[in-house]
Amino acid sequence: MSDDTSTATLSRKDFQSDQEIRWCPGCGDYSILAAVQLLLPDLGVKPENLVFVSGIGCAARFPYYMNVYGLHGIHGRAPAIATGVALARPDLDVWVIGGDGDMFSIGGNHLIHALRRNVNLTILMFNNQIYGLTKGQYSPTSEVGKVTKSSPFGSLDTPFNPISVTLGAEATFVARTHDLDRKHMVETFRRAHDHHGAAFVEVYQNCNVFNDGAFGAITNKEHRAEMLIELHDGEPIRFGADAELGVALNRFGECEIVTVADVGVDRLLVHDEHRGDPTLAFALSRLADRPTMPTPIGVFRDVARPTYEGEVQRQLVGAADRQGPGDLEALVGSGATWTVD
Amino acid sequence: MTTTVAGPTRRLMEGSEAIALASIAAGCRFFAGYPMTPFTEVLEHFARCLPEVGGTCINAESELEAVGMTWGALATGARAATGSTGQGLSLMQESFAEISLAELPLVIFNLARNQGDYFQATRGGGHGDYRHVVLAPLDITETVELTQLAFHLADQWRNPVLVYGDYLTAHVQESVTIEPINFGSVPAKDWAVDGSRTGTGDARLLSPLGIAKVGTEPVGIEAHLRRMTAKQAEIQRRETRVETGFVDDAETVVVAFGSPARFVRAAVRELRATGERIGYVRPITLWPFPSDAVAAAADGVRTVATFELCAGQMIDDVRLAVLGRAPVVGIGGISTDGSGFGVGQLLDVERVRERILAVHRGGPDAELPALPDNERALW
Repeated sequence: MSDDTSTATLSRKDFQSDQEIRWCPGCGDYSILAAVQLLLPDLGVKPENLVFVSGIGCAARFPYYMNVYGLHGIHGRAPAIATGVALARPDLDVWVIGGDGDMFSIGGNHLIHALRRNVNLTILMFNNQIYGLTKGQYSPTSEVGKVTKSSPFGSLDTPFNPISVTLGAEATFVARTHDLDRKHMVETFRRAHDHHGAAFVEVYQNCNVFNDGAFGAITNKEHRAEMLIELHDGEPIRFGADAELGVALNRFGECEIVTVADVGVDRLLVHDEHRGDPTLAFALSRLADRPTMPTPIGVFRDVARPTYEGEVQRQLVGAADRQGPGDLEALVGSGATWTVD
Repeated sequence: MTTTVAGPTRRLMEGSEAIALASIAAGCRFFAGYPMTPFTEVLEHFARCLPEVGGTCINAESELEAVGMTWGALATGARAATGSTGQGLSLMQESFAEISLAELPLVIFNLARNQGDYFQATRGGGHGDYRHVVLAPLDITETVELTQLAFHLADQWRNPVLVYGDYLTAHVQESVTIEPINFGSVPAKDWAVDGSRTGTGDARLLSPLGIAKVGTEPVGIEAHLRRMTAKQAEIQRRETRVETGFVDDAETVVVAFGSPARFVRAAVRELRATGERIGYVRPITLWPFPSDAVAAAADGVRTVATFELCAGQMIDDVRLAVLGRAPVVGIGGISTDGSGFGVGQLLDVERVRERILAVHRGGPDAELPALPDNERALW
């Protein structure tokens, strides 16, 4: 194998590994994997410069199936491990793959800190609202009342809204897509990858064995027009088969669904993903409590803030400027020294 | 007349700073940690010094994140370390176990509150079959050497190495020289996630499960774990380090490690000077434990005494090594200051000497001198 790879001739196949894929037949993870492998040849990144970091869960098997560098960690810790990779080698292209259990239960803390620091990571969170690998227990995104083997009388826990949580964690890029729309996934992942800093994408993913159809009410082809609200920067937010519905702000600053014919186009909220203040993005994230109501997809927020690696490098340069290029002897001698009389 | 000392700078510094500078001398360029007494100053010295040599130090959001970040940095082939106090290392154990199985060269500093983290350090405090090489420095000069050795051994064996210090290691100031020490070459890191295609197929996925990827035969978890076991046996054969003194004709042998061993050694030397036939064994590696040296020293003695600043944990390893050749008795114990740190009244050469002499004269059943009540608690 050569030491260098040209990116010009890469195809989807170059990113596929020879490992037998061990996801259940019909799992939404297959289409997400395909979308990523379709996208990668377009990005102009050498396979050896790509690192996929994962924790534990069905989604966390993802690096096995990619013919790029991979790090399989432990449950919840992938954002922390990925931060270490990105800090030690800012030139590498680091992706984090995990599910709702991995990233919002045990790894919630690591996720929010990676986001607030704005580490240059592309984070894909496969949300199936269930624990799949351990065969069906409720997750932090499962709905209240969810009956599972570990919640036989129904879950009492209020679920997280991942978009709200990540906006609250000072994320600079937040988006949502779903596993039945490859084109939308590819474009959303591309946007996330192009973002400088921590990019978080929630992917609604069907677990056809333990939580089948959790998103069917909004993602099935026959419902999409009425139930998915595609966000487009700079455009009034409209949806419906004939774009007859829209989103407007009420007097409390909350988003509500309106009929365009009733309120007029001028009252519709114009999506602005680059607003520094996350309030409007947050209001949009509250439009749907559950994936049974009209739900926004696409990019909620995309703002520029210095990346953590960039700031670390800036401090290193600053240190070198102040004290000259460091060497050990200078460091050892930098404290109190004296000569012996 | 003014004498300027030639050669590298010699400076008075606390152990925490010596650890940071010795790590840098060894090529460490990444450190992540979370404050905890008495480890905190190690983190602070790394934070001050690493940027000056182009390295990175992160005050993480928890010990869990600190070890995770270090894991990521190690995966790129960087020399990297983390650390804490035993309490913080308890939080990191899951990652330690998996990093060991992923064969990454992690260096860990435990600036412990006492010697009660011996089991945590030597048994592999997490799940599964693994061990860490554990180095226990006597003083700051040896801390400088063992810190650098830790990075070397970690790379040589692709296995974590833990440096077990304590409150004194962290905060006693000694005059030391810090220069890179050449321990010889280490294997190339052809497994690293480093943006090169020169790695083996195995290198493409760093996983605790030993799973290979494109172009290589899958190792399989069972074979991977057996390979780890064989590696541990080889480390045991080759990396045991120990210091012994006056054991040849000794009637009583005292075993101690780390800072307390310095007090024991001083007491034994004093007693030898008065003609008492007492020797000492100081394990420098706690794993692998110098069982052969302990067994040899125990041959023909009346009593083997262990001096630990805790209820007694190493004593188990000493008993396993002695295997009934002589009675083994603990002469250390709980000894803290008012804040609960293991620098209490037992860290006193006079008291250590009294206790050694008690078992030397009275044998294993001798009554040990009582300790007065501790000073008032500080809170």
